[in-house]
Amino acid sequence: MTTIDTSIYSAVTEAIRGEAQRTLSEGLVTAIVGYAAARRKGSAQPIVITNAADSEKLIFSPACVNNLTVYLTKAKKEIPKTGRVGIVVKGCDLKALVGLMGESQLKRDEIYIIGVPCAGVLASTVQPSQELTSDTIASKCRECGEFLPQGCDFVPGVEIPAAPELEKNYSAEIARLEALTPAERWAYWREQFSKCVKCYACRQVCPFCFCEQCLCDRNKPQMVESTPRPAGNTAWHIVRAMHLAGRCAGCAECERVCPMDIPLNLLNRKMARELKELYAYEASFQVNDKGPLATYDEKDDQSFIK
Amino acid sequence: MSRIGVFVCHCGENISRTVDVERVALQAGKLPGVAFATDYKYMCSDPGQNLLKRAIAEQRLSHVVVAACSPRMHERTFRKAVESAGLNPFLCEMANIREHCSWVHEDKEEATVKAIEIVGMMVERVKKNRVLPNITVPVTTRSLVIGGGIAGIQAALDIADAGHEVVLVEREPSIGGHMAQLSETFPTLDCSQCIMTPKMVDVANHPRITLHTYSEIEQMDGYIGNFQVTVRKKARSVDEAKCTGCGICMTKCPQKKIPNAFDCNLGMRPAIYVPFPQAVPNTPVIDRENCTRFKTGKCGVCQKVCGPGAVDYEQEDRLIVEPVGAIVVATGFKLYTIEEKPKGSPIKGYGEFGHGKIPDVIDGMTFERLASASGPTGGKILRPSDGREPKQIVFIQCIGSRAREKGISYCSKVCCMYTAKHTMLYHHKVHDGQAYVFFMDARTPGKGYDEFWRRSIEEEEAVYIRGMVSRLYQKGDKIVVMGSDIAVGVQVEIEADMVVLATAVQPQVGADTLAQKLGISYDKYHFYSEAHAKLRPVECATAGIYLAGACQGPKDIPDTVSQASAAAAKVMTLFARDKLEREPIVATVKEAGCVGCFYCKKVCPYGAVEEKEIRDRQGNLVKVVAYVNPGVCGGCGTCQATCPSKSVELDGYTDEQIVAMIEAL
Repeated sequence: MTTIDTSIYSAVTEAIRGEAQRTLSEGLVTAIVGYAAARRKGSAQPIVITNAADSEKLIFSPACVNNLTVYLTKAKKEIPKTGRVGIVVKGCDLKALVGLMGESQLKRDEIYIIGVPCAGVLASTVQPSQELTSDTIASKCRECGEFLPQGCDFVPGVEIPAAPELEKNYSAEIARLEALTPAERWAYWREQFSKCVKCYACRQVCPFCFCEQCLCDRNKPQMVESTPRPAGNTAWHIVRAMHLAGRCAGCAECERVCPMDIPLNLLNRKMARELKELYAYEASFQVNDKGPLATYDEKDDQSFIK
Repeated sequence: MSRIGVFVCHCGENISRTVDVERVALQAGKLPGVAFATDYKYMCSDPGQNLLKRAIAEQRLSHVVVAACSPRMHERTFRKAVESAGLNPFLCEMANIREHCSWVHEDKEEATVKAIEIVGMMVERVKKNRVLPNITVPVTTRSLVIGGGIAGIQAALDIADAGHEVVLVEREPSIGGHMAQLSETFPTLDCSQCIMTPKMVDVANHPRITLHTYSEIEQMDGYIGNFQVTVRKKARSVDEAKCTGCGICMTKCPQKKIPNAFDCNLGMRPAIYVPFPQAVPNTPVIDRENCTRFKTGKCGVCQKVCGPGAVDYEQEDRLIVEPVGAIVVATGFKLYTIEEKPKGSPIKGYGEFGHGKIPDVIDGMTFERLASASGPTGGKILRPSDGREPKQIVFIQCIGSRAREKGISYCSKVCCMYTAKHTMLYHHKVHDGQAYVFFMDARTPGKGYDEFWRRSIEEEEAVYIRGMVSRLYQKGDKIVVMGSDIAVGVQVEIEADMVVLATAVQPQVGADTLAQKLGISYDKYHFYSEAHAKLRPVECATAGIYLAGACQGPKDIPDTVSQASAAAAKVMTLFARDKLEREPIVATVKEAGCVGCFYCKKVCPYGAVEEKEIRDRQGNLVKVVAYVNPGVCGGCGTCQATCPSKSVELDGYTDEQIVAMIEAL
């Protein structure tokens, strides 16, 4: 077990508070979406502040796991209507934010991005009071290459300590599944999907599931069976994976909120890998007007058609 | 409740041979919602259509399913019939039990079961069909013709003579194309220039033809009736308005040693030039690649000698946007050059015939220039190597054509006839000479064609040897041609002074890029594809674009001219009314579900999707959604496939209809 150096987080917290104080008091923004301490020791929760005096409530810690970008589109629709909104984002969250800009859901000049240098956050399975170590760190952070968000309006000027080399859970699991026969792999996913209770928490938390009426809720015609039965469950998760292909930023919120512990981000990472290999595309800090699934080129790799 | 009529067609025996059509009709009659079902030998025939119309009236049918061929074949036919019986034409659907069933299966029992299922699917689908009113769009009664060869010229003249404006775009500095290069034409041996140049002058003088030479198509937007075509007018370096065509610039140009492509590089031309004396327009162009002024900055003689001051070294490419309603593509052909395998060409090289290595091995077009009175030798047949008259000449046919192993399986169609013509021209000019022709078959269908070919043998003394040439090499100043005469079964060896190769006809360079700009399809050789090989031979699958001449496939002059006039007739049909009725198969957006991600806008190949603001009564912006312009929408359904929230649907192909079809199975 290796302890991960999170000493910069207090300096980051100070810097966020200072920037929030300044931007709110100067009227640059009308609200800031960030993290605040929650009741349990060490835990954190999302907060929306509209008052400069509330800036002191903002924190950044290894418990700040949420991807806050959903608060700009669907979770709290009234917030963006107030004016330009500030938002605290980690590298993974920023990719989602950038993706939403590419899909006409957000305009760059309507948001004020406060990027945080991040050494990793805790896995959802451990207590928030625990120390960030090679055992307690979230799986997504093990394979993260974006500790420092880019293209933000403000980023605290701190030096990120060198990250230790960590075991790559997703890559290992993808390799394990790829080594299986199609029948075994199908059995694995059928088993996973059979656990689904159709609570749709994965959909609600996903920044890219921004449809006002999900096609899975339609009944004329019914595209996806609504009851939690294996066939409908599988259909739902495949639709989700396909819709996220070339869009998913890897914040892994779906996997964190799943009450049945379905490895949803594993599916997303596999799709992301396919997109990278086939079309040399991956979610990044650059706004992309036309994702790989909205373009067609005769020279596109078609080897997957068998 | 629906009262659906199902009409099962035998298609002669095309369907009934493998599908028990009576059983299909019987089973269809039992489907819920079906009020009437019958079968008939030829549904598309007049009695067949009358049967359908009568049934609609007598049985009070609400919807119609015709189980027959592909909708591409007869959907329009039956929708028209349904419309004349008083139903909305879009309440009629076709169940394809020919291409999708009888033609691809052998087992009658299985094919019959499948046909019943196909009909069942379409019955469920047609129940969800909506009444769709036709859409009318305005038509710009102006047309664009791409290519100024005989095809483009004929089409442009025909359309302009009918009273419509034409924009004719030609890549080269002059119109005329390949026909201007020919000496005499089969089967009458009239002079090509004599019949071509008056037409070229007609184009130049026509009040309704705008001519853009030395120009290329940059971009095309829009749709039938409403295209916006951007033409790049390349910098000619000579002001067309000022130039009088006196030609002094050409005589004074110090750089005179540039091979003239019009004469197949046999003659030379200056850097400022017109490709040939009869060029239209008679305005020179500066070949900037070879001009001393452009290469070194020194010279400028042409500018000094030009009286009207037309020479303009600073001229730049200009982009002109031409709004047109119809487009005729007539980009013609090129001859396969055989010295090596051209980059990207499907054909492998024919280096064994020495073209490019042995100077007196030439292609058919070069022979035309030698035989032409306006050619580099003034019409004398002389060897390019030493200028001597060849006394033994060998013509070899099918070079590249009909050689599957070399990459081209088609027949180039014109070579048999022009080779026969070449032997005659040769015999007329070199009385003591002897022409030999190596051929596989002589293909001479056409009015007066076979007689012409017979004449070359019987009266003009050409010796035809059935067989191919195996080897050809230079020996002294002779070319030894070794081949076989399979009619007699002996090897033949001829010491020739000149060899003429009838090389394959290929589409013009860049045919594929132009097709991509226009959104038309092409085959593996890059010949453009017609909408239907037999019934729509001059139309592209893309509405409003028509084909003329050898860009569609090898053609001789009579065929080219016929097709050009046919394409012109199609354009005139389109222009006969100022509004165009088009199918209402277009996409519509369900604004309630649309979240404005505009993926539809990104993927729409027609540029039909616009952004639309939804405001409340106070005028506050609620959201921005997609809007499909029905006049522009091509009905491809790409938006429907892309929309993540399923908020855009193609009328006639709604999710409800598709799911109903799946559930019927």
